Amino acid sequence: MRRFLSALIVLGLIMFFISTLPLIPEFGKASLSKVSRAFIDKDVNGNGGNIQYGVSKDLENGAANVVTSIVVDYRSFDTLGEVTVLFTSALGVGIILSGYKRKKFGREPNFILRVSVGILLPLILLFGAYVFIHGHLTPGGGFPGGTIIAAGILLLYLSNEEFDLSKTVKFVEGISGSLYVIVGLLGLAVSGVFLINFLPTGVVGNLFSSGIVPIIYILIGFKVGAELSGIVAELHREG
Amino acid sequence: MIILGYIFIGIGAFFYFLGGLGILRMPDVYNRLQAGTKATTLGSFSVILGVGFVNMDYLPKALLIIAFIALTNPVGSSVLARAAYLIGIKPTAKTKVDECKGGDEI
Repeated sequence: MRRFLSALIVLGLIMFFISTLPLIPEFGKASLSKVSRAFIDKDVNGNGGNIQYGVSKDLENGAANVVTSIVVDYRSFDTLGEVTVLFTSALGVGIILSGYKRKKFGREPNFILRVSVGILLPLILLFGAYVFIHGHLTPGGGFPGGTIIAAGILLLYLSNEEFDLSKTVKFVEGISGSLYVIVGLLGLAVSGVFLINFLPTGVVGNLFSSGIVPIIYILIGFKVGAELSGIVAELHREG
Repeated sequence: MIILGYIFIGIGAFFYFLGGLGILRMPDVYNRLQAGTKATTLGSFSVILGVGFVNMDYLPKALLIIAFIALTNPVGSSVLARAAYLIGIKPTAKTKVDECKGGDEI
């Protein structure tokens, strides 16, 4: 009976998707909105001549990494939603595992692990910070950088039984999340649009360029790092 | 230099193959871990060094990656082996020496 029902549901979904296929326009014949038209008509080389790495200045966005310029500038509001999704999932993990006490093994962690964590942890944290600080210049950004930092925190949890970071994690997470919204509200106050890139964009390829993109990516890096560290802590407690 | 690089990549691929064979054929978890770790360490070293030789621009980065693998890979394997020993996975019957037996010093 159950199999029959699930097959029926899958069949219904397939029928639904097939029936919606004719709604998708043919290639090159879509009716575009004003925004899409504006971005398609824009020259790849910029509206006024070529863009050169390290030379061109005061562009619309100014980030050398195209993905970052889209994720944190053009659809920054969506990224705010993404960060909220991550926060909600961390909250869910916390609620599910809230009843467990942290399991103590009563045994000193591995000597090799402790020594190598002392060597590796600074390098891992530095690399994570590099990835999210240079998010507008190189591949990477706040989400991968935060994940790398959370991996370093996991090493700390594994090598030290007494280690606990939950209060700091909550503090950092709240501060960085609200600073993200505050940067957006500053854009609203300055230019009348939420999360607009209101700072000067500078020269392409410099560390201090592309306006609010690096600021927001640093905030996202801290927030994602804190959230994933929180998840790591909760899962570790479940033991 | 390019030919040397390809030779290194070939050696690395051979060690990867040996690692896969070892994971398939070795009798217990410790031997498998040893085979896998040796393969990834030496195989990755050779392949990455070979890439560095083929394209000399990548050589400093390749050496850096080798240093990081040398820092992380043996530690991970040793922690895995220790955890396996602590939860009581028995070595295969052919194992004659067990230096950790009865001691707390692991």
